[in-house]
Amino acid sequence: MSAIEFRSVDKIYRGRRVIDSLSFMIEGGERIVLFGPSGCGKSTTLLLIAGLVAPDAGEIRIDGKVVSTVRRIQLAPQSRGIGMVFQDLALWPHMSVADNIGFGLRARRIAAAERLRRIGDIANLVGLGDYLQVLPGELSGGEQQRVALARALALEPRFLLMDEPLSNLDAALSRRLRGEILRLHAELGFTLVYVTHGREEAQEIGTRTIELAETGAL
Amino acid sequence: MTERLILILATLVLALIGLLPVAAMLKETLIADGSFSLDAYRALLASDGQFAVLVGHSLQLSFLTAVISTLIGVPLGVLLGKTDLPLRGALTLLFTAPLLVPSYVLAVAWFSILGRTGLLGRVLPDAWSQEISSAFFGLFGCTFVLVTAFMPIAMLLTIAFLRTVNPRLENAGRLVSGWPRILLRITLPLMAPAIVFAAVLTFLLSLGEIGVPMYLRFPVYPVETLTQFAAFYDFRAATVAAAPLLLVTLIILGFQTGLHKRVLELGRRTPNGQVVVVALGPWRLPLFLLVLALAIVVVATPLGALVVQSSSLEIYKVALFRAGDSVLRSLAFAATSATLLAVLGFFLGYLSERRTLPIWWANEWLALLLLALPGSVIGIGLISLWNTKATSFIYASPAILVLGYVAQYAILPMRVVAASLGTIPRSLEQAARLSGAGWFMTLREIVAPLAGRGLIAAWLIGYVFSLRDIAISMVVYPPGSDTLPIRILTLMANGAPSLVAVLCIILIAITLLPLGVAGLWLKVGAKRP
Repeated sequence: MSAIEFRSVDKIYRGRRVIDSLSFMIEGGERIVLFGPSGCGKSTTLLLIAGLVAPDAGEIRIDGKVVSTVRRIQLAPQSRGIGMVFQDLALWPHMSVADNIGFGLRARRIAAAERLRRIGDIANLVGLGDYLQVLPGELSGGEQQRVALARALALEPRFLLMDEPLSNLDAALSRRLRGEILRLHAELGFTLVYVTHGREEAQEIGTRTIELAETGAL
Repeated sequence: MTERLILILATLVLALIGLLPVAAMLKETLIADGSFSLDAYRALLASDGQFAVLVGHSLQLSFLTAVISTLIGVPLGVLLGKTDLPLRGALTLLFTAPLLVPSYVLAVAWFSILGRTGLLGRVLPDAWSQEISSAFFGLFGCTFVLVTAFMPIAMLLTIAFLRTVNPRLENAGRLVSGWPRILLRITLPLMAPAIVFAAVLTFLLSLGEIGVPMYLRFPVYPVETLTQFAAFYDFRAATVAAAPLLLVTLIILGFQTGLHKRVLELGRRTPNGQVVVVALGPWRLPLFLLVLALAIVVVATPLGALVVQSSSLEIYKVALFRAGDSVLRSLAFAATSATLLAVLGFFLGYLSERRTLPIWWANEWLALLLLALPGSVIGIGLISLWNTKATSFIYASPAILVLGYVAQYAILPMRVVAASLGTIPRSLEQAARLSGAGWFMTLREIVAPLAGRGLIAAWLIGYVFSLRDIAISMVVYPPGSDTLPIRILTLMANGAPSLVAVLCIILIAITLLPLGVAGLWLKVGAKRP
């Protein structure tokens, strides 16, 4: 049984077919890279996995269970065991680093003491232990990137989705963070689905690459 | 699921308070003695030509106001929103001021200058001042006052939509041409839907205007509707008279449906809100002096005239004694409506911006219709709907005023919130949902704090427009619940001009007070680390 499975999935935005009959399977613990030119539907594929948008045709399964069918989300995003790093990082600018990381823990009503402990642990894991009370806007690009990663990992997700997370960083920083992502994957064992249009990045991160054509087909 | 339910509920609330009264009013005109009848309309059309004259006056006044307001407002908006003219912020605020006060207050102010016994009359020869005064009472005076009142609409929309023009398109033009040609051939055509929209909105608002034509004795159609109701208490005749105004509004809105959609799309296409600033060079000083002169004539002169007339402290005491209760009522009604408008506007604005349900467009259209409808029509509709035994607790209480304000002005906070939400990336909400937050938690902890300024602006705009309302208030206010604008209008007929001027000053003060407080609060908030 595959961890994530797409069966003939279509997605149409404003009359344009962004994803055309896309089918693939991802096994648990894999590091998958979705690779392809701009506009081929890579980010949309992540949103479909996360359950933030519904397909217009086909179905999506997680652990063999149907989670999305035609224009229907069967399993809510927050119940899929997914953490996501968005392309624009989507850090909440009015919340401190600690509040950004701890938001999901609070939403799940985890007790304050346990919450603080987990925020501290995850912040140390990504090297942000000294920045907990700082607002995201006061951090550098690389540090913001780590906050987004820490937030996504705070709920110990089974699947980590990353949407071109390093696209705005310089080459040296990008290389260093790629190393850290691989280290975290080895340490925590999540399934990684990583979107990029950089071939070098794809080769370094992925154990397998799914290459999308311009119309969002394989 | 919760999200859908709440958004559908907000839509139903808008339909209940806005659409049902209009439907009830129409039904009233089509039923006679329990059966369907068009007799009332036949009688209206067969009236001795007065109908055509009044409609003609209304269209004439609305057309002139819309054209002149747009011709002045758009260039002014370009100067204030896109050039290096000095004191742009202060001048924009100054030009916006007339939009914040009831337009008849401006008429009162101008009368104190141009009237026979006014400031100008004291220095000009008798024959001249008489000539000016008689011209002021009529189409010329009405158009002049309404242009000063509504011109800020074209100006503000121009300033706002200049930000939607992609700077790269202008920069491409700058390689081959100078700014005047770029503005005329590239910038303004790209935002043409917004300019036409401003003109149409001004036309519709002028069409429903009551206070200024009544004060300046220019017979227009909406006043006729009100007269049937207020003077003859012929409710059926009033509803029938209101129907053509509804029809005209529907026809115009029907024609501009596509335009409205294009304006909404323009508003969503903001390339970082950046504007390429035009350096005026040697024209900077002359244009600044020209704009300053316009500000002095259009804004400072009428408001200054009111201040001159109300210079005695004694009159303030008399005014507060005679109308203090109306001041308090106005404050209470406006604050209540503004709060309801901000809450409703938040959900409707959210739906409009995020478009999570296909009914978002119906809301946009209905809310725009309600703004464009003459207030007297909404007022008559409210009476048609709520004047029953079962609902008399609403009809006979100030709640009916609040319902009217919320119905007519719903689109204003809705659009403000939508614009504010447009600056918040959707991914911030998606991240919250993925973290396990429900819709309410996402709204409370992510969306509302980030849209805080928009929500404050939504409340303020609801407050200002509810406070300045006269058309709905005049039709529906229950006995003993008159608002300050109504009290001023009543005193215009038999009160001393200085008393009226003082009450106008008080009205302006209570309008500007929360704006000033909010401005200070935002300034302090911005300085905080």
